[in-house]
Amino acid sequence: MKRFAVLAVFTLALVLPSLGQDWIRTGTGVGGEKIRIAVPDFKIVADDGQAAALDKTFNDVLFSDLAASGIFDVVSRSFYPLGAIGSPSDVKLDTWAAPPPKAAMLAFGNLGVSSGSLQVQGWLFDAKNAQSPQILAKQYRESASDESARLIAHRFADEIIFRLGGGLNGIAESKLYFISNRSGNKEIWAMDYDGAGQQQITHLRSITLSPRVSPDGTRIAFSSYFKGGPNIMMWSLDLNRLVKFPEFGGTNLSPAWSSDGSRIAFSSSRTGDPEIYVTDQNGNNMRRLTAYHGPDVSPVWNPKTNGQIAWVSGRTGLAQIYVMDSDGTNAQRITDQGYAVSPSWSPNGQLLAFAWIRHYGPGSPGASDIYVMDVASHKWIQLTHDGGHNDFPSWSPDGRHIVYQSTRSGTEQIWSMLADGSQQTQLTFSGSNSQPNWSWK
Amino acid sequence: MALDTDIYSHRDALRGPLALSAALHAALVAVALLVPGNFSSGGEWGNNGSGGAMGASISANLVSGIPLPTNPQANPENVLANESKGLSQSIPQPETKPEEKAIPIPDRNAKPAKKTAPKLAPPSRQKPRELAKADNVVPFGSGGPVATAQYTSFQSGNTNGGLKFDEGGGGSFGNRFGWYTDVVARKVHEAWQNEVNPNVSSAKRVYILFDISRSGAPSHIRVEQSSGIPSLDISAMRAIQRIDTFGPLPQGYSGSYVSVEFWFDYRR
Repeated sequence: MKRFAVLAVFTLALVLPSLGQDWIRTGTGVGGEKIRIAVPDFKIVADDGQAAALDKTFNDVLFSDLAASGIFDVVSRSFYPLGAIGSPSDVKLDTWAAPPPKAAMLAFGNLGVSSGSLQVQGWLFDAKNAQSPQILAKQYRESASDESARLIAHRFADEIIFRLGGGLNGIAESKLYFISNRSGNKEIWAMDYDGAGQQQITHLRSITLSPRVSPDGTRIAFSSYFKGGPNIMMWSLDLNRLVKFPEFGGTNLSPAWSSDGSRIAFSSSRTGDPEIYVTDQNGNNMRRLTAYHGPDVSPVWNPKTNGQIAWVSGRTGLAQIYVMDSDGTNAQRITDQGYAVSPSWSPNGQLLAFAWIRHYGPGSPGASDIYVMDVASHKWIQLTHDGGHNDFPSWSPDGRHIVYQSTRSGTEQIWSMLADGSQQTQLTFSGSNSQPNWSWK
Repeated sequence: MALDTDIYSHRDALRGPLALSAALHAALVAVALLVPGNFSSGGEWGNNGSGGAMGASISANLVSGIPLPTNPQANPENVLANESKGLSQSIPQPETKPEEKAIPIPDRNAKPAKKTAPKLAPPSRQKPRELAKADNVVPFGSGGPVATAQYTSFQSGNTNGGLKFDEGGGGSFGNRFGWYTDVVARKVHEAWQNEVNPNVSSAKRVYILFDISRSGAPSHIRVEQSSGIPSLDISAMRAIQRIDTFGPLPQGYSGSYVSVEFWFDYRR
């Protein structure tokens, strides 16, 4: 194998932001300088009648995926030079690199439908590099359907995000699991990260709470009144049915997977007082972690190390967020006031998102908002403002997004945002939807 | 009582030997007086007859005539100190350790000695690394945003920078994969946190060196040139250490890693 060393010399002048909140940028990878990318519509090269519709779906999904990624500033289409681009020979890079588009990157390609199959060729060009502009060239073939057009757009977007986003996989193919009552009961539903393709998972005709998908994406742990008192239950997405999980007695709530999928932490009141327990993935080898008067609920693992658990405890009165080692030692409280619930640990282990009513009680009309705290320094930042009751944040696998529930539209709905609080987007609109959980990949 | 009687009764027995002793002493004195010439007839002390005449001439000739060697070591026939190894082996002298001196107590105000960590070669590399050529390194203090054509400069918000790649080795990485260097710069910028001592308002430039492997993971992160402010050095190191990956190296690049020199300018 050839071994070459190239010495790159970078300079970076660091001038501090006056607000001093650079840690949020560090933890989330958003909030830095965004890459200006242009995505002209893919050119139709073969058409058997449905190509125009599929092309529109593809272009819309690709555009919104890149815009939602948190690392791109997608150039408005009205700035684009005239003329369709279908292949590298059509590209005049200087017209894209110069104003008005002034794009740093250019994603383009062509799309054809022939004999029931959809074929897409896509390129990613560095608009500033006239000599060897190509960064990426991809070809996809799927059966011709609207769903495949979306899938290919997601995959191509993820490929671009992976390359230009510094090795973090995109989330365009990730899923959201949540509770919805639109069928009449609180059941588990699933949707794409952008709200498309919403479908019902469980049909238990009971009350189902806190779905948590396993790291490998094959199972969902949740809490349900299906068999009397709320128990931890397990749904297999492969088998599409319930699978065995032991019943512990008492009220069992808020299961949480360790990131290696080998352990589950949850809250159980089997001894009378809700405490945190850990079992293996099948519910065996139960071990109790907390032993303090007052409720202990909502555990979440540090997904980076699985060495710590954050949870909510009412041992000092109002609910507060605590962090302990995963063997139950070294517990410390990290919120200092108000009412803090629903912790969610960021994939890189640095940040905790949670819902916080900072001023709680009579005479303090505090709102429940989403906050993010740096676990090491306990510095925090507020992400939602003046928008109803916000709760149940959940991190995306790339750590750049947070999904949560909010009543700001009048009813309880699922929203997503970038992890710096920008780009807040409503994802669900019908019924009442709550407790979202973002898949691991 | 009988014993005492015996001793006193033998007193007369000493008279014979005493008389003999006195007679012999007297005879000895008589002989000494009768033969005096035996001690003084030899002339001066040290001269035994014939030696007196020859002594002066021999001594004068000998002193001037001895052929003193000009170089005493030039004589190869010196049996005791010639260069042949000889048959016998000399026993090596045991090494004597110098007596340990007491470690001086460092002065509190003294300048700390600059630590130079030993640079460990990565175990996987069999050949020694091709070191960067001198023309590849931007001289100290002359970096920063440079407008010359050989630099690719970029500007993003609060960040100004310029970067340059070596033309040798893996080829013109910077020209071919400018987008990747942008990714690296952006990612480091995002990963940097202000952990600098708040009393510091500005500092000298700190240089960080690291490698990026094929998979995009940074390794061998080290401070090449300290800023003199430890908290700035550490924050710069941590910025790189926080990054798990920069993303795989570009597909068109055939090398197994790239070395990156990054520098941080700090001013509050």
